[in-house]
Amino acid sequence: MGEVIVVTSGKGGVGKTTTTANIGAGLSQLEKKVIVIDTDLGLRNLDVVMGLENQIVYNLVDVVEGTCRLKQALIRDKRYESLYLLPSAQTRDKTAISPGQMKKLTSELKEEFDYILLDCPAGIEQGFQNAIAGADRAIIVTTPEVSAIRDADRIIGLLESNQIKDISLIINRIRMDMVRKGDMMTVDDVTEILSIPLIGAIPDDEQVVIGTNQGEPVIGLDSSAGKIYLNICKRIMGMEVPFADLNAGRGFFARLSDVFRKN
Amino acid sequence: MLLKSSSVAVAKSRLKTLLTSDRVCCAPKDYDNICRELFSSLSKYMELAEDDFRVEICRTHILITFAGDET
Repeated sequence: MGEVIVVTSGKGGVGKTTTTANIGAGLSQLEKKVIVIDTDLGLRNLDVVMGLENQIVYNLVDVVEGTCRLKQALIRDKRYESLYLLPSAQTRDKTAISPGQMKKLTSELKEEFDYILLDCPAGIEQGFQNAIAGADRAIIVTTPEVSAIRDADRIIGLLESNQIKDISLIINRIRMDMVRKGDMMTVDDVTEILSIPLIGAIPDDEQVVIGTNQGEPVIGLDSSAGKIYLNICKRIMGMEVPFADLNAGRGFFARLSDVFRKN
Repeated sequence: MLLKSSSVAVAKSRLKTLLTSDRVCCAPKDYDNICRELFSSLSKYMELAEDDFRVEICRTHILITFAGDET
């Protein structure tokens, strides 16, 4: 029996889609059978981030409306052992599907897949309600900014009132140079404010932008974000993985000067 | 340079006020009133010192702490 995980944030542009693509690829690398579903009707993007945009024939709405069979709409990512994408519809809007239909679809998928990852649209309207309808757990993506954290807090409240209690946090786009100067909140600051368990802190990494340009996940690559995504996947699977030091690689004198700056 | 207060401190204090009022859907000044009124009604039944009395509004519950309760 698989697990349905919704990746959500409230605020747009914090990295939900990139996170979904990379976690999907990572779980598949760890030999799990994974399907990623783009639930952002009208603004489909997960296909582009994954580099699968040229293979779309049918989409989520076609499946829900019965225009095609589920298997016909699934796109297999050939770079991985068992990673599938169910793309969103670009020409329909949020009202094309209902929370009940999503719940039915995800419970069917649970029979066949280990993990069903839902890329949630920004906002708290029907698109969000659809995405969370069948979710067993949630991953909140935020950045260390006031607006993103505020929205994340609101989303956590809404998830809790919808009986989704298993909620974990990913803090994205951390700039250690700014953190050291006291101009960006630390991982601990954000975790304390939102008070949900942290499963990953991802530095702002150029490789992520490059990967998105090329439609390639960064997971498993020799980049800081790629390694961290893999650790996030292991934590999702319930493994205990120690958190990497984002300061790693900085020399003794650089660290010494931090000590003085703090005072 | 050393005296310049970090922007993180500003962000954290703004967020604290913001989240409290978001969580209960009330204006920031209402939070102060809630604290004051809770203090006055609770102090009818038990001995409380204002300095040790704290009200924290979380997403799903309101946490009231006072000295002697924890420790």
